[in-house]
Amino acid sequence: MKTAASVVPRLPVEVEAEPILAWRSWTLTGRRDGEGLLMRPVTAGSRAWRPREVAQATCRLAWSHEAPNADCSCGLHATREVDLLRRTRCPAVLGRVALWGRVIEHEHGYRARFAYPQRLRLICQFCFWQGSAAASKPDVVSWYARDLLVPMCVHHLGVAEANGMRPRRILPAGIVDLRLRETYAVDALAF
Amino acid sequence: MDIGLPKRVIEIEPASLPVPEPAPILEPSVDPLPEPVPEPVPGSEPIRVPEPVPESVAR
Repeated sequence: MKTAASVVPRLPVEVEAEPILAWRSWTLTGRRDGEGLLMRPVTAGSRAWRPREVAQATCRLAWSHEAPNADCSCGLHATREVDLLRRTRCPAVLGRVALWGRVIEHEHGYRARFAYPQRLRLICQFCFWQGSAAASKPDVVSWYARDLLVPMCVHHLGVAEANGMRPRRILPAGIVDLRLRETYAVDALAF
Repeated sequence: MDIGLPKRVIEIEPASLPVPEPAPILEPSVDPLPEPVPEPVPGSEPIRVPEPVPESVAR
């Protein structure tokens, strides 16, 4: 029987006992009162990361392999450097995640089988895109349709409203940030 | 987001999982209070319980 050959050269395998810490960003959903917070991958259609539950990688090709697989792009993604996340779509939460199980190390990041956040904070995605993570502290969290929560600084809230993105409700960022960390039982991410 | 080419595979089995305990289910720390019994009003007459009527009489 003919089998598909791996396109990736055989990778060295090493065994370690400590989880790897890496950077990751998520979008955020929640109710209009700021309760029911849930972090979701920035990639549409991926599973939400539930509070106090291990996030486990899956693959659409699960019939052929377990995630992560060297010949696939599946797995829970995280980066070595935070600045690489500035290219992600609609990041609302920035954090450090612990990765374990099978982890495939790449040049600039990782793909893991299991993960859980260790430190989190809300970010103004517009400041993050334009500058750095340290200069992206939000003032408010805007609540939009389909329970989408978007943290913003006051300046970018004004820009959003001027461009027709008027939020249905505005919540204080400090309260949502604290509630997020309590929900996931993690510490604050400091810069 | 491009994380580059794969370099190696790491199998990590941590001694303890870096995941918090499940949220505790809050239960009352003491037994629930008994149903309140109405206290007799001072000065009021005691409630008279009618005596049972003998069967031979009541037909």
